[in-house]
Amino acid sequence: MIDLSGMMNALIASPMIIPAAFAGIAWGILGGALPGISPSITMALLLPFTYGADPTAAVVLLASTYLGAEYGGSIPAILIRTPGTNSAAATVIDGYAMKEQGKAGEALGISLYSTLLGSVFGVALLITLTQPLAAVALAFQPTSYVGLGVLGLSVIASLSGESLIKGMMAGLIGLMIATIGTDPVTGNNRFTFDDPELLSGIPPILVMVGIYAVAELFEQASQPGWRQTNTADAAIKMPDALMRARLRVSQIIGAIIGFIEGLTPGGGGTIAAFLSYNEAKRWSKKPEEFGHGSPEGIAAPESANGAVSATALIPMMGLGIPGSNSAAVLLGGFLIHGMTPGPMLFTKHYDVVMGLYAGKVISLFALLVVAYLILRPCIWLVNRPKHYLMAFIFALVLSGVYAIHNSLFHVGIALAFGVIGYAMKYYRIPTLPMVLGVVLGFMVESNYRRALVLSDGDHMTFVEDPIAACLLIVAFGFILVSLVRHFRDSMKSDQKVKSA
Amino acid sequence: MSLKAFQLFAGVATVLAVTFSGAQAQTKYPKDTVMLATHSSPGGGSDIFLREMVPHLNRVMGLNFAVENISGGSGAKAMAVVSKAKPDGGLFYATTPTFIYTSLLSKPEATYKDLEPLVNVFFDPEVVYTAADSKFKTLKDVIDHAKASRGKWGAANPASLERQVLERMKTATGVRAAVVTFEGGGDMLINVLNHTLDIGIGEMQEIRPQMEAGKLRVLAVMGDKRLEQLPDVPTAKEQGVDVAVRKFRGLAGPKNTPPDVVKAWEEGIQKVLADPAYKKVYIENGLQPAFIAHDEYKKFVAEFGKETEDFLKSTGTIK
Repeated sequence: MIDLSGMMNALIASPMIIPAAFAGIAWGILGGALPGISPSITMALLLPFTYGADPTAAVVLLASTYLGAEYGGSIPAILIRTPGTNSAAATVIDGYAMKEQGKAGEALGISLYSTLLGSVFGVALLITLTQPLAAVALAFQPTSYVGLGVLGLSVIASLSGESLIKGMMAGLIGLMIATIGTDPVTGNNRFTFDDPELLSGIPPILVMVGIYAVAELFEQASQPGWRQTNTADAAIKMPDALMRARLRVSQIIGAIIGFIEGLTPGGGGTIAAFLSYNEAKRWSKKPEEFGHGSPEGIAAPESANGAVSATALIPMMGLGIPGSNSAAVLLGGFLIHGMTPGPMLFTKHYDVVMGLYAGKVISLFALLVVAYLILRPCIWLVNRPKHYLMAFIFALVLSGVYAIHNSLFHVGIALAFGVIGYAMKYYRIPTLPMVLGVVLGFMVESNYRRALVLSDGDHMTFVEDPIAACLLIVAFGFILVSLVRHFRDSMKSDQKVKSA
Repeated sequence: MSLKAFQLFAGVATVLAVTFSGAQAQTKYPKDTVMLATHSSPGGGSDIFLREMVPHLNRVMGLNFAVENISGGSGAKAMAVVSKAKPDGGLFYATTPTFIYTSLLSKPEATYKDLEPLVNVFFDPEVVYTAADSKFKTLKDVIDHAKASRGKWGAANPASLERQVLERMKTATGVRAAVVTFEGGGDMLINVLNHTLDIGIGEMQEIRPQMEAGKLRVLAVMGDKRLEQLPDVPTAKEQGVDVAVRKFRGLAGPKNTPPDVVKAWEEGIQKVLADPAYKKVYIENGLQPAFIAHDEYKKFVAEFGKETEDFLKSTGTIK
């Protein structure tokens, strides 16, 4: 079900898609190349500036930034042994080893080629799979949205990392934040302290900018600077035919694992990169080279990253459930233009979705071109003193937040969430559950209460709606699996403690 | 009458006459440029209303107009700015029932009572609609169904004029109906289309695309008279439901707006509403011309505020 003419029409209607795709890739590579600036921050920085833009161009810009950042992260990983993004951590192992052998250009070429192939695969799946997922849109009743929201919240269980309790805490705080503002059923004010600024609640965008950008900058301010590099031997060399043949297996492994992890909430690039590195090693003809400059050791994680940057959009757009930080920020990009990702996105904003698909395809070409051009500026940027860079980015964040509604109050909210986010990092409380709570809380609450108003208070209404029933069963299954895994892991670590 | 008193009277009359004829001769408005403020962001309802009116108003009144978006706090910020402005005809605020709701629901720095309504321009016709393939053909069908079992009626927002209309309809007919509220018209529309709801209520503008696509059927106009755009759709009153609502769009300024400014606007708005070029635009947008002169408009807004306050108290939304 690929609507090529729809994509062409969207392209003609908003030609700004093309420069947006190029700009997003360039910005993404720069942001991704700066260690500590993750893809989600790189995107969150742009978020406020997309407010005045054409909605289609805005989401294309953000989605391209995601892809650019996933590639950009491998540049410092190869050149200075510091991953620019978390998901480039696996690339460090063989990338830096190749650089030591004087093959930095080849390593960069393999990274670019593999990211590109991975994302071609990812974009193809995105375009074919998302819409069937959303085909049931018109049948969605308030009860179905409750099921969807609960499914989204159940993801918290697998996002919580080391501590389920901390993840639940973060999720609950998010849900509490979502109750600020006008009550969805009675219209009463809740926790607004009679302040008209709070009548419409806390915008999720500000929570995201605060948690992802501001808190990260606080965190970076407390860390020492990173290594520097010399630019002499850096020029991208694309792999030749012989090398391409050798990389094929590892790229297929990377792309498939990337696809699965992109679909699974909480998976994301980092896990996909390490998983595919391991698998590529297992299936390789020369496993002994891994760790000592194996080209396959770069190809597998980078093609996984590339695939994730496209397939993570499938649950975000089709169901409105962001499975990773970067997907959450992209969801923010939709929200800022009054579009709510989810089943209705395809009915209400079909042209924007088609434009996004077209933009994703263009961004693949853009990556190829921009990667060559931007390598030098990128290395220059990484060699700047860190404190100047961070101060500059901080100014950019705050002016961006102010620009959304010309509101100092909003700047205050973003800063407050920066402090909250920093505290959460300090206490090792995961932040994504909180963002999920803020994004989904209002949807779950309002639809739950709406459904009960419709059914006259009868809870059976959630079972009678087949969509809601299915989604709720999946949600409970999801929680059950995470719980089982969680307890098994903690039993294992207990045994380790005992045996040690 | 003593001579002195007569002289005084004559003097005042002369001054008045001179002032008046002077004003007539020059029709001098105290400002060259008038700012029109709205709380809605670019592309929002009031923003479009102002931006579409401005070029025509410029032609008719011979003044420059600039639209300024003072967003924030659902109109609270705009009200504060306008209430503090000098009453020199240089700044007005586009009013909708929102500014009354915001005033009542929160404690903004300035409320609708701190502003002086200038004139009204339009009514936004509210219509009750259902899915084209639903079994309801008239408003009476809907009421009968709600009497027999239980009605499911939808309004876009909880603290809104639309919900107020449905609650009033429920009281007026004495039926059992769940009034369900949403976050905006789009969400509700889907629920009307998939038959979760019997009816929805909204501005004609919102539902026009679906109406033209033949997916919705308009059952009743919730105003005093039928709409030019939908001559075949009867009003609720014609169908025996005594509920009518007037969602107004007008202007308000700071208190003590000088009379010559008021006069200039009363003339200007009447002229612009009669202007054929502008008429084409607003009829297409589903607006109903509804000029209300200054003195009457002040009373109208005050009454509207009182009615809304009573409603919000009756639902327990405010104390």
